[in-house]
Amino acid sequence: MAAPPAPARAAVLCGTGSFLPARRVSNDMLSATLDTSDEWIRTRTGIGARHFTDPGTTTSDLAAAAGARAIADADPSGVDGVDTVVVATTTPDRPCPGTAPVVAAKLGLSGAAAFDVSAVCTGFVYGLATAAGLIAAGAARRVLLVGAETYSSILDPDDRTTSVIFGDAAGAVVLRAGEPGEPGAVGPFDLGSDGDGVDLITVRGGGAEQRLSGRPAEPGDRWFTMAGKQVFWQAVRHMAKSSRAVLDQAGWRVDEVDHLVGHQANLRILNRLADDIGVPRERSITNIAEVGNTSAASIPLALDQARAAGRLHTGDRLLLTAFGGGLTWGSTVLTWPHLAGDANRSTNPMTPTRSEESTR
Amino acid sequence: MTSPMYDTLVDLLVTRFEVDRAEISPEVTFEDLDMDSLFLVELLVVIQTETGVEISEDTASPRDTIGHAAEAIAAQVLEATAAKSS
Repeated sequence: MAAPPAPARAAVLCGTGSFLPARRVSNDMLSATLDTSDEWIRTRTGIGARHFTDPGTTTSDLAAAAGARAIADADPSGVDGVDTVVVATTTPDRPCPGTAPVVAAKLGLSGAAAFDVSAVCTGFVYGLATAAGLIAAGAARRVLLVGAETYSSILDPDDRTTSVIFGDAAGAVVLRAGEPGEPGAVGPFDLGSDGDGVDLITVRGGGAEQRLSGRPAEPGDRWFTMAGKQVFWQAVRHMAKSSRAVLDQAGWRVDEVDHLVGHQANLRILNRLADDIGVPRERSITNIAEVGNTSAASIPLALDQARAAGRLHTGDRLLLTAFGGGLTWGSTVLTWPHLAGDANRSTNPMTPTRSEESTR
Repeated sequence: MTSPMYDTLVDLLVTRFEVDRAEISPEVTFEDLDMDSLFLVELLVVIQTETGVEISEDTASPRDTIGHAAEAIAAQVLEATAAKSS
């Protein structure tokens, strides 16, 4: 397939940041109230723990914390201002308005363009494509893109199939206008959806469909539900297909991929995905054991943690791919850039912001 | 009596799913091997990758025997191959 023409201006990644709420919940802690066990959860999902927010803290708080880190990382001097804030989330602070304007205000960026992207676990990849489009069109010059989630607000505490999988977190990147083909430029993209799968990953209540149904909401309508078996099947299938499509567009061979950064849905899905597209599993970046599935936050959180761990090097080739509710899926590629913030990190590698909060 | 697909299935169970070869026989069900529906979906995804044939996700259930599942999968592969060559 011929590659689409490259845009005149590309979105170039220039900073990363993430935030995990302090409260860490182990599998054993969940097993105290649910009919499950550490062994059951680990063998089926690869998850050992997840983090949950405390009452009073919400999605915009996590997003602002991660966003502040990404902004400082991209430009320690603080001169080069972000003009657009995009938040990808399944768990907005309110059904109306969007969470992004609140995040912008919390960051002192009132006046910036701000809106949400709703593509569930694919939200971050859709957000990257959105940011790339805004920059290519000249509508934005510097975009803060945050994937932020508080799934603890929509998980049914009695549902052992979802409660053990998801966690709260935020991950952010800053994208600046730059040249196509320079390190850090994101794209091309492969994006897709299948609305026939609306019921596979859903919160039934709270929207127009339920409010206009002429019947009162069922108690369970407020909770997130997922058809695990079908989702497993569809996730591997669509992420593999989309990964191959984007590699084809980019003109990369699969053996040229240094890091596969898949949506952290389930370790077994990630392993199957790597096997399916032919990327050695050791090239797959995974953080799911410690944080669970953090939906739209998962890819930027995994990127920021891999970077902090010294795993990402300038010039490395990354394949990002995600699958989520909708159904939606999407993939993109980038070459890892030299980041200005690395200088600060290498002179002070033990800054407590990352390690302490992630291991508490 | 076993078939090539049965042998493939056994190899996959042993190499990818850490099942003890001695526990497997055509009459054993996936449930007997402690494999639930999620494992079965994963197995079918693996077979799909290995054979390059689209296999429907409800081809086998945990209560099916390995022998029965091998037959059902082989039938789908045969059908797909026939469709491709016609």
